[in-house]
Amino acid sequence: MEDAKRQEFRAALHQTKNLPTLPGIVAKLTKMADDPDTTTEQMGKVISQDYILAAKLLKLVNSAFYGFPQRISSISSAIILLGFNVVKSLIISASIFEVMEDQDVELWQHSLGCAVVCNVIASRLGVKDPEEVSTAGLIHDIGKVAIKMELPNEYEMINRLVRERKMSMRAAELEVLGLDHAEAGGWLAKGWNLPKKLIEPVSCHHDPRQASAEQLNSSIIHFSDIMIRGLGYGHASDNKVPMLSKRAWDLLNFSPTDIDEILEQVEEKLWDVKGFSLEIKAEDTAQATG
Amino acid sequence: MQQILTLQAKEAMVLAKDVMTAENRVLCGKGTVLTSTLIERFLKMDIVQLTVEGHPISSPGEKTLQEELQDIEDRFSEVNKVPPLAYLKKRIMKKLVESRGQ
Repeated sequence: MEDAKRQEFRAALHQTKNLPTLPGIVAKLTKMADDPDTTTEQMGKVISQDYILAAKLLKLVNSAFYGFPQRISSISSAIILLGFNVVKSLIISASIFEVMEDQDVELWQHSLGCAVVCNVIASRLGVKDPEEVSTAGLIHDIGKVAIKMELPNEYEMINRLVRERKMSMRAAELEVLGLDHAEAGGWLAKGWNLPKKLIEPVSCHHDPRQASAEQLNSSIIHFSDIMIRGLGYGHASDNKVPMLSKRAWDLLNFSPTDIDEILEQVEEKLWDVKGFSLEIKAEDTAQATG
Repeated sequence: MQQILTLQAKEAMVLAKDVMTAENRVLCGKGTVLTSTLIERFLKMDIVQLTVEGHPISSPGEKTLQEELQDIEDRFSEVNKVPPLAYLKKRIMKKLVESRGQ
């Protein structure tokens, strides 16, 4: 892509003309969290004002998707039990559900599956707040949605290359646009003012070496993407399992037994999540028509 | 294992997952062999789906095991020479074969 056009695309993403925006509540809560005088009750009150979001949040918290051991029945308890960062990730996740489910069901399912693998791996590695890694997994391909909505003609050309020349989506994006969905997703996440902990794993999920601060989390997303594609859960435009980054593999340092156990846990969780995704959709439809 | 509609359930199928009530209580544990009385009870309680062992129900258009194995080969075709990914492929194939009860 010529430099001028590249800049134009980047600017379009910043203005998010066609793209849905994250609810203002995320920015508001981030600001509140920076203020040491903010109480849990105040935060809970702000979230509860958006009752649809609050309901979705509680549903997500209590779903197989995250699988917290105890039932959580109020937003304040969620903040106390899970911590603010986790709740913020959950709000982002709950909002992304809407953005992505509407756009592309197969890509959505791939993203949901990737988030499940991320959660299993992050918990296994003892990463702090594995839910944040899940959220990054959920939004790792958001750049594909951005390209589809902002550059429909180029998106069609990319898909033609994938179909006719059996190229990977990423190779086709690089040929047509000179950038890939990971970079576009990073711009979008930045435009949404998401924390760096989420931006880097999105923009570096195909090459974790590029991450400056979040190499481990980027590696988790990288390998989760590989595993979920290998399992054929959902569809991410092309069906090929991408190349494994040596850096990611060195960081994860998994033995064959690790792989076996991760696969076992992931398959178990995917069964539960499959129903969950449909459940949210059914309720959305009921709300829209009811 | 396979997720089926309770309406498709038959005697002698084996539950692969616990059946839960709406209140999240275990109604019937995994490993239970289904009987007609049990199936009727699930239907009365509006339990619409069950997860059972093996792959007893084939739906129209569903891929055969061979086709699914070929799909896995295709997905891994560009990374076959990378040892960790070759291992991952082998395990995914093994689990698929097992899940089909073969």
